[in-house]
Amino acid sequence: MRLGFARTVKLTLASFFIQTSWSFTSLQHLGFLFTLSSGVREKTQTKLLHKCKTIFNTHPYMVSYIIGAVLRAFDEGQSTPGRIDRFVSIAQASFATAGDLLFWQTIRPALFLGAVILGLKIGIMGPIAVLVVYNALHLFHRIRGFQEGYEKGDDIIYLLRTRRFTLVQRVFEFLGALFTGGLLTLLTLDFNALLVIPLCMLFIGLLLKRTASTIIIIIAIIATMIIVLV
Amino acid sequence: MPVIIIGVILLGSIILLDKFAFGEFGISQPIMVGTIFGAIFGDIQSGILVGAGLQLIFLGGLPIGRDIPPDGQAAGIIGCSSFFIMRTAYPLGQSLFLALFFALIASVCGGVLEIAARRLNDRLSSGYRKRVQRLALYHLSGLITAFGRGICIITPFVLIASLVPIPAQCPGINPSMFLIITTGIGLAHALYLFIKRSTILYMIIGGLCGLALLVL
Repeated sequence: MRLGFARTVKLTLASFFIQTSWSFTSLQHLGFLFTLSSGVREKTQTKLLHKCKTIFNTHPYMVSYIIGAVLRAFDEGQSTPGRIDRFVSIAQASFATAGDLLFWQTIRPALFLGAVILGLKIGIMGPIAVLVVYNALHLFHRIRGFQEGYEKGDDIIYLLRTRRFTLVQRVFEFLGALFTGGLLTLLTLDFNALLVIPLCMLFIGLLLKRTASTIIIIIAIIATMIIVLV
Repeated sequence: MPVIIIGVILLGSIILLDKFAFGEFGISQPIMVGTIFGAIFGDIQSGILVGAGLQLIFLGGLPIGRDIPPDGQAAGIIGCSSFFIMRTAYPLGQSLFLALFFALIASVCGGVLEIAARRLNDRLSSGYRKRVQRLALYHLSGLITAFGRGICIITPFVLIASLVPIPAQCPGINPSMFLIITTGIGLAHALYLFIKRSTILYMIIGGLCGLALLVL
């Protein structure tokens, strides 16, 4: 079974708003229903709104895989609330972990670290190139996610074991390490390496101790004040 | 000046929608915001410098699950916009120091305001439960919450940057010192995120490539 072009476009556009009404009580629930309802006929919409009651939260770029699979269940008429809720609750956790690891912990920091180095060394083309690559990657997941979710149905979860996730994560880990080495020499040796090292050690210590990010920022403010005043 | 202030606040609030309310295309990342504001104010190199520094500070801000880290995107918008506003009237060092200071404070305030915005969204969610047919209305009203949050966080900093005179005794930092501070923090984030036994070789290769570029 294939998802049509027009439906994919509608779903993709709606998925850009997945986190618009993110709240503590229902998380992405409204966004999930909004995207899902954009892909079904008007008759089915009311049924869908009453059937999908689970609180939903996953990685915003990975939501399309789950929605694609749920849409197929609706199209095939297997849409019993218990079955959908069971699938959604398993899939949302699995895709959230995969998306957080792949995008938030690997691709985004690696690419924007590259954007910093390229921006400072070659100017405006650096950030623009990185933005294009970043968007190509997440749009690929968003668009293909609907189609593959629809084709594979509940089996979509097994996609997380494929090279698309594991290999890409490894490639960007290596790229991140490469850029870290580049940052170390290109920027540090350009300026005063002696001051960068203790600052870096201080913040690594805080990160290893898993200090809250707000505390790290407050320490950054204090460190800046001390450096500037001394 | 009022046109610039209003323009910066509106543009900043629109860019801030990219944080989570619409798309998440990466436009709100500090390096991109620096480039955008640099292009608008006619000094792309300075924009990239400020944006790059702030990007390094917030490189490791990971919005995992329900966790809300300090708002790096708001910090980028406020840091870059206030830098260019102050730069027209004050020396580079003071503008850079205050832009960095504002950005760091704004990141903490942004985190607090994000929690407030999401509490407001709770009301949208409970409104939806009462009127299920109005899903689109309740859901897309979240754009107003997010835009309002942007206005609330950006306006005070932009007004301070443009209207409050900077005393002559205010300390300043030169671009090299700015990059030393931000590189120190950014390097810590990068080492923490990427350096494992399996990737150390790639870091060494990256370092050697950097050295080769420096020599050439």
